[in-house]
Amino acid sequence: MPLAPSATPDVLRGTLDLLVLKTLTLEPMHGWGISQRIQQFSRGLLDVNQGSLYPALQRLEQRGWIESEWQTTENNRRAKYYCLTSAGRRAVGDEAASWRRYVDAVELILQIS
Amino acid sequence: MTTIKGLRARLRALLHRGAAERELDEELRFHIEMETKKNERLGMNARDARRRALRDFGGIEPTKEAHRDVRGRWLEELGSDTRYALRTLRRAPVLAATAILTLALGVGANTTIFSAVNAVVLQPLPFSQPDRLVMLWEENPEKGWHEQYCAPANVLDWENQVRAFQNVTMYFDGAGVSTLTGEGAPRILKASGVDGNFFDVLGVRAQLGRVLVPNETWSVDGNPHVVVLSDRFWRSQFGADEGVIGRSVRIDGHPLEIVGIMPPSFSFPVEGIDVWIPQAWKYAQRTDIGFRRAHFERAIARLAPGASIETADAQLQAVAGRLKQQYPETNKYMGAGFTPLHRFLVGDTRLPLLVLLAAVGLLLLIACANVGNLLLVRAFGREREAALRLTLGAGRRRLAKQALTESFVLSALGGLAGVTLGILGTRLLEQLQPPGMLRVSHFEVDWTVLAYVLAIVVASALLFGTAPALWAGRRSPAESLKEGGRSGDSRRMRRWTELLVVGEIALAVMLTLGAGLLVRSFRQLTQVDPGFDSHGVLAAQVVLSGAKYDSVSQVRAFVDQLEERVSGLPAVLGTAGTSNVPLQGTGYTSDFVIAGRPAGEYYTEITHRSVTPDYFRVMRVPLRRGRFFTTADRQGAPPVVIINEQIAQKYFKGQDPVGQRITFDKIPNDKSEWSTIVGVVGGERQQALSADPLIEAYIPFAQEGSPGMSLLTRVAGDPNALAPAIRRVVAELDPNLPISDLRSVDDIRVRSLATQRFLMTMLVVFASVGLTLAIIGVYGVLAQVARRRTREMGIRIALGAPAASVRWLVVRQGLTLVAVGLATGVVGALVTTRGLTALLYHIAPADTITFVAVPVLLGLTGLAAAWMPALQASRADPAIALRSE
Repeated sequence: MPLAPSATPDVLRGTLDLLVLKTLTLEPMHGWGISQRIQQFSRGLLDVNQGSLYPALQRLEQRGWIESEWQTTENNRRAKYYCLTSAGRRAVGDEAASWRRYVDAVELILQIS
Repeated sequence: MTTIKGLRARLRALLHRGAAERELDEELRFHIEMETKKNERLGMNARDARRRALRDFGGIEPTKEAHRDVRGRWLEELGSDTRYALRTLRRAPVLAATAILTLALGVGANTTIFSAVNAVVLQPLPFSQPDRLVMLWEENPEKGWHEQYCAPANVLDWENQVRAFQNVTMYFDGAGVSTLTGEGAPRILKASGVDGNFFDVLGVRAQLGRVLVPNETWSVDGNPHVVVLSDRFWRSQFGADEGVIGRSVRIDGHPLEIVGIMPPSFSFPVEGIDVWIPQAWKYAQRTDIGFRRAHFERAIARLAPGASIETADAQLQAVAGRLKQQYPETNKYMGAGFTPLHRFLVGDTRLPLLVLLAAVGLLLLIACANVGNLLLVRAFGREREAALRLTLGAGRRRLAKQALTESFVLSALGGLAGVTLGILGTRLLEQLQPPGMLRVSHFEVDWTVLAYVLAIVVASALLFGTAPALWAGRRSPAESLKEGGRSGDSRRMRRWTELLVVGEIALAVMLTLGAGLLVRSFRQLTQVDPGFDSHGVLAAQVVLSGAKYDSVSQVRAFVDQLEERVSGLPAVLGTAGTSNVPLQGTGYTSDFVIAGRPAGEYYTEITHRSVTPDYFRVMRVPLRRGRFFTTADRQGAPPVVIINEQIAQKYFKGQDPVGQRITFDKIPNDKSEWSTIVGVVGGERQQALSADPLIEAYIPFAQEGSPGMSLLTRVAGDPNALAPAIRRVVAELDPNLPISDLRSVDDIRVRSLATQRFLMTMLVVFASVGLTLAIIGVYGVLAQVARRRTREMGIRIALGAPAASVRWLVVRQGLTLVAVGLATGVVGALVTTRGLTALLYHIAPADTITFVAVPVLLGLTGLAAAWMPALQASRADPAIALRSE
């Protein structure tokens, strides 16, 4: 079966961290869940490249913004759940603010002409 | 196929399958499962759902790799790479051992020399706030004095008037010879005469009892009354008995109360001091002119808190200026200054140490080049294995890193072995270093040394590991896999190995040229005519001090008796006494005036020596004019003097000095004693073989004695055989008089070159090792070249080329390498050997003989190294050679 090329854009480099953190503000979640949530919340507009999701989780954990724990899912499957640390909570605000500044700046430039 | 399977297994084994790895596995498996289930829910069959999930994921392995990257894969890979490296090294034990041994030699030599540099130059002095201590000195441009000893009266004025000095202390430099009696056999002690505040200024405490106190500088009767012992002496003499504090011991005939024991770490101004004794000036001496005229004290000041060097110097200059005007007779030309104590004490030892450090640095570079070559050659041998791994998907960076890891493992092993060698080396260096060459006698491999070793080990690994690593990362698998493939890569690698060989030859040439210069200089020194015949003479030194030798006549009587008894011993050809043995330093110096010269004309810095009449005959110092001393030149007889020819040439041009009169006063008055010159003798080198004779006046011992004197005895045969007889005679004359030094004058002469010999020997050893390594390098590379060209040789021989021309192909390549290396090394040496100038005696740093002989010698050795592989190549059997690849 030929596979159709994906129409959804990949998550912009550098914003994945913010999206992951934001997703985790709701509740602790495993990697697959996080990727589904991002897709859901963006109404299918964003597709997380799984290849970069797990390294990103690793990176965030090293930075002390998230913690991980092995738990059982509703279907009795073992999965690694990630949750925000208090530092992570603070980081969400900062990251979001800096993202907004960035978007505003890009918007200003796009308004030229 | 089996090879590939094996390789795959090996590659799998490389991956560290730890807990983190298992967790990641499980996490990703969970992800794929969830995704598959989702796809199934969307209506796909199980197979498509899973395929879709996997496709969407975009490759499990890259994700894992990326994950590992974040996780700090570096460390993990390092672990597996290290294990891999250890395994490969185990499989090539000869290569590993050669590389490790080579590195160990380089690192060991560096560890040893650096530990000496560390102890002598880098470590702070073991005093309180040592950076606040300065060495004070006097200078006198008229006499050519620089950083000279101080006159005590001047120092006292500085202490009182320079407010930037917190306090100032004086001591007599080096170690004096004192005699301990009444505690078993008389014992010679290394004594240091110090002011009462000596320990306070340095900021050191006694481990038991107390140190001296400031008012102990002075003494009513001019005799010391207290003594501070060194830990070593306390242990060896008194068995570390704490009860000795307060006890009285007899030193130089004076009863001294033991007031304190210093800690074992303290021995200043020199190593191995036994006792510190107050200088015990009479208070009245302060105003004595001799106290300002005679320069014999070292003075150390501690800067006042907050006082800067500049302030202190300005104040000192002001005081010295005032003293010039206040005491023109003694201080007219006398300037003063100071140097940080540490720098002053390191002084002359810095250059030899730096030369040695540079030499072992070159050695290590050569070792690195050699190991680099070994690794490259080996990497080349494993080319196909590496190519396979590349084809199987190993990253180029990963392969390069693996190669580098191998270098680090080698370097670490070599470093470890090197440090062990280095520690042994420091013990050896402690034994071999000529006494007094370095300020300290004990070198520790401490943390500073270890940090340095770590740095050079890492640097070495990078140095010799870079080329193999680059090589590993750059290979193109397609080329390498071709049967008998000759890729551009292999040419590039050959360039690398050639560059390394040229480099190590150049370094070895520089090292050998440096060593060659020192050898030449040393030869020059041994051929210097010292002005006397050292062969067959024994020198016995005694110090005639204490109550028994208070008067001149007592000293003279003893010396007369000693000479008489010794000259009666069998095999003795002659015996004489002298205040100073040549090559062991000079006596005191003074100004002098020649009678009949214009008023006010005087000359400076004449050296004095007292000798008994037979001195010149015993030492075979040639008489140029006039006569030697006789027994008639006694006290009471007209004062006479013999001058050396240096005085005659300098101050009696065109005149006959014999019969003229001189006095040793700068401005003669009616009390001045005028001595008649009765003879002119050849000049003796007083200080060192490398120093021209100073102007010197010989005075009859009978007219001016000296408490410290040496008896020189010329014997037929081995002078050392006479030693026991001399000891017996001295003991018979005075059982309480120890002989402080007993050795042949030949020995004195040999010892006077100890530092130069030591430095030369070290450099020759380092150069030999470096040269051997370089030659091995040349041989190794050419052998490899010859092997690689076996087929070509075979074809040439099959086509009828004579063996000689085939040989020449290889030899030519070798000679090109050697020639380029030689040229580079000679140019490098022309620049660097200038740093040796101060260590060379009558040899230019670009000495022609050295610069011709060494390259020629090395060229010939290089030729020999090239010849063997060439011979093998030319013997190639065409049939075998053609099949070989």
